[in-house]
Amino acid sequence: MPETRTHTVPGSKTETTPKVEGGWRVVVLNDPVNLMSYVVMVFKKVLGFDETRARKHMLEVHEQGRSVVWRGLREKAEAYVFTLQQWHLTARLESDEATH
Amino acid sequence: MKRRIEVKLSLPVVAPLLEVIRELAENLKHTLAAAPALPDPDPEFREAWIGELLAGQEGDLKALLSLFHGEFFTEGVVAFDDGNAEQILRACAAIRLHLRQRRLSALGDEALETGEVEMADLEEGVRKAFVCYLFLATIQELIIQHLDSSIIGS
Repeated sequence: MPETRTHTVPGSKTETTPKVEGGWRVVVLNDPVNLMSYVVMVFKKVLGFDETRARKHMLEVHEQGRSVVWRGLREKAEAYVFTLQQWHLTARLESDEATH
Repeated sequence: MKRRIEVKLSLPVVAPLLEVIRELAENLKHTLAAAPALPDPDPEFREAWIGELLAGQEGDLKALLSLFHGEFFTEGVVAFDDGNAEQILRACAAIRLHLRQRRLSALGDEALETGEVEMADLEEGVRKAFVCYLFLATIQELIIQHLDSSIIGS
């Protein structure tokens, strides 16, 4: 089995997490380096997307510069951001209350 | 069942690129390939987050560099399997991002994204860096093409 280091977010700063479903979103931003096929593969691997959904989000990132790939509780959103960053995608956490 | 692909590389073409890869991998022991957006400004959280990313990145780069020993120098062969594919994919991404930042900034992002670069116009160091950038992308494509299902399923 390959080494997997998914969902190993360091720290335990969850005490201030708003317990509201859909309160946080994981956003992936475009970069000029990572291959489209790589981004699709990472979305499938990390977020569990099927091929169609992964390609849709990859194209959104590519064409619009960003895509919201997940929404939900902060703790899980942080874990996704961390894992996507391990894969060198430009991922960040945003509150649904924040505008961009 | 364990899947494995072996790729025969041209030693005279690839060997000079290893110098670039090793140098960048050395730099990346102390810095992340891309500055991460942190979800929490707390210094302890920041330190832990970056430390974990750095440790992972270092392990990935070791896996990439380990391809270029023994069999590579005698046969020109490198092998990818379920056990190293993920790490090598990430390491290639890290080096490519670092190449962009350190060696290829003069090319511009559009050229990097489209790959439309006039090689003959490039200064030797930039040309070597760009060939390295393309070489690592080829490795990624090969792994994704042949081991995608193994990676997703793991």
